[in-house]
Amino acid sequence: MAAVAKQAQQLARQLFKLSVVDSVVSTDRVAGVLAYVEKHAPANAVLVLKAYHRLVSVELAKSEARVEHAGAVAPAALTAIAAAMTKKYSRPIAATSHANPALLAGLRVRVGDDVYESSVSGQLAALSLSV
Amino acid sequence: MSTVLDQIEQQIAKLSTKAVKKNTGNIRTIADGVAKIDGLSDVMYNEMVAFPGGAIGIALNLEETEVGCVILGDVSKLKEGDEVTTTGKLLSVPVGKALLGRVVDALGNAVDGKGPIDAKETYPVERIAPGIMARKSVNQPLFTGIMAIDSMIPIGRGQRELIIGDRGTGKTTIAIDTIINQAKINKVGLASGDAKFRPVYSIYVAIGQKSSNIVRTVAALEAAGALEYTIIVAATAADNPANQYIAPYSGAAMGEWFMENGMDALIVYDDLSKHAVAYRQISLILKRPSGREAYPGDVFYLHSRLLERAARLDGKGSLTALPIIETLAGDVSAYIPTNVISITDGQIFLETDLFNQGIRPAVSVGLSVSRVGSSAQIKATKQVGGKLKGELAQFRELAAFAQFGSDLDAKTKAQLERGARIVELFKQPAFSPASIELQVSVLFAMQKGFFDPIDAKKVVVAAANMKNFFTTRKDALLTEIRNKAALDKDLEAKLQAACDEWKSGYTA
Repeated sequence: MAAVAKQAQQLARQLFKLSVVDSVVSTDRVAGVLAYVEKHAPANAVLVLKAYHRLVSVELAKSEARVEHAGAVAPAALTAIAAAMTKKYSRPIAATSHANPALLAGLRVRVGDDVYESSVSGQLAALSLSV
Repeated sequence: MSTVLDQIEQQIAKLSTKAVKKNTGNIRTIADGVAKIDGLSDVMYNEMVAFPGGAIGIALNLEETEVGCVILGDVSKLKEGDEVTTTGKLLSVPVGKALLGRVVDALGNAVDGKGPIDAKETYPVERIAPGIMARKSVNQPLFTGIMAIDSMIPIGRGQRELIIGDRGTGKTTIAIDTIINQAKINKVGLASGDAKFRPVYSIYVAIGQKSSNIVRTVAALEAAGALEYTIIVAATAADNPANQYIAPYSGAAMGEWFMENGMDALIVYDDLSKHAVAYRQISLILKRPSGREAYPGDVFYLHSRLLERAARLDGKGSLTALPIIETLAGDVSAYIPTNVISITDGQIFLETDLFNQGIRPAVSVGLSVSRVGSSAQIKATKQVGGKLKGELAQFRELAAFAQFGSDLDAKTKAQLERGARIVELFKQPAFSPASIELQVSVLFAMQKGFFDPIDAKKVVVAAANMKNFFTTRKDALLTEIRNKAALDKDLEAKLQAACDEWKSGYTA
């Protein structure tokens, strides 16, 4: 079972490499990969596609600055965040806005696994842990 | 007034605009104190990760698609999908004298209900052992208070001496006796006002033991007045395997603080068999490849890196380790026992047969050894007990032949008689360690044949009587032996006179 999963992971990694152009996941390439897999279904196609999905979603998350906010955020602020993150990570990053009243006030920006916490709820959580 | 308020407002304003960067992941699966986490792309090996609710984990498996973490603390409220963050720190525990007299868990939190511990410093749980140049040879004795050990298998400060035997053979008792003896020596030494006196502080690490046993141990130490010099690290059988895995390293960190600060410490790992089992459980859940007896490939390193931290440092203090291993049916050739035997500087082997025969402590003289040898003995012990191990070995050999019932010559009979008396003399009740000066006195009496006229079965009573005689009536002589640490002609004459006095007053 472990060997099957490892093989699926290896194939998914190869397919993922084919889907990336200039450090960015290409929509056309992904469509091409999916068409190829549909036509020439590999052994354990479900496992391969799940692993491929995971790799692509992780990569896409790295190209998106998910901005969570409690109040309104001006489009200029979103543009500024996108520009700052693009500079920081040296790759094109687009900012998307998501309302989250649970933050109480402030912002939380997520780029891949990194979270930039500047919300009141985050500070309260940190405070409660330190007490 | 307004200036103060301005300052606070400025601080709030600063805080409210400051963004904190965290590297996060999400729990994919969680079972038996081990979590598999998606994300955590920046995590480092052995780094502490923070779980919701204040639980702490350690990243042990860094894989392409996930991170395997062991969780220390309450896992019951954690669930799939919970967010986990890296901390950028290694796991640390509080260290220092504030922990003496306390019972703590694997993370150094007090569990004895005596309130929080006011520790000023913390040490990382995992540390690289001292290198070659920093070490000094082991030549200062660490008295266990057990005659059979101090006279035949001496332990030095900075040594690693394994206590090995089946269940119920008195392994823990030897360790507790040693801790109690350190406390007794500390009290006498500190009271004497000797500037050169170096007290030994003890750390007792209980791994996978029943809570009732730990309570009993704490009570025994308290009753003997030894708890004030002892730290107890408890990872009970009810604790999750991660806590049991980390507990000996936490104890070692606490011991290292004493060593680094020019003090001497003793650490007891009770026991490393259960520690290996806890690590095996973690490794199997982490899906690490298993080897012999299903232990992972790095189980040797698990114990070698722990025991290598015991050392005597040049210009600093020492950390003496007494690891305990429980064997099954006396099988010392099993995987974990052979590993730990090869790491340590000797072993005290306890035999079930001897224990059942009433020979307690049930130390097997033939299989026990201290690789530090007589360099960790005071001269007085060497003078009175130097030949004891050989004599006892000869006795065992002759006793085996004597079972055939053939006629024996006078010399063999004498050797058998003497051997039987030595065996009886070494019998010692639990939790009553004898001071080294008392041991020297009793062994001197044995050497000079004072026990020869006494029936072998009555030697235990006679020895107890003699110890009582020396303690109550020859205190000055005992103090002289302790201070000189060697028997000169004058001291020998005094001892001879004291033994004669005892003999004249003693009726078997």
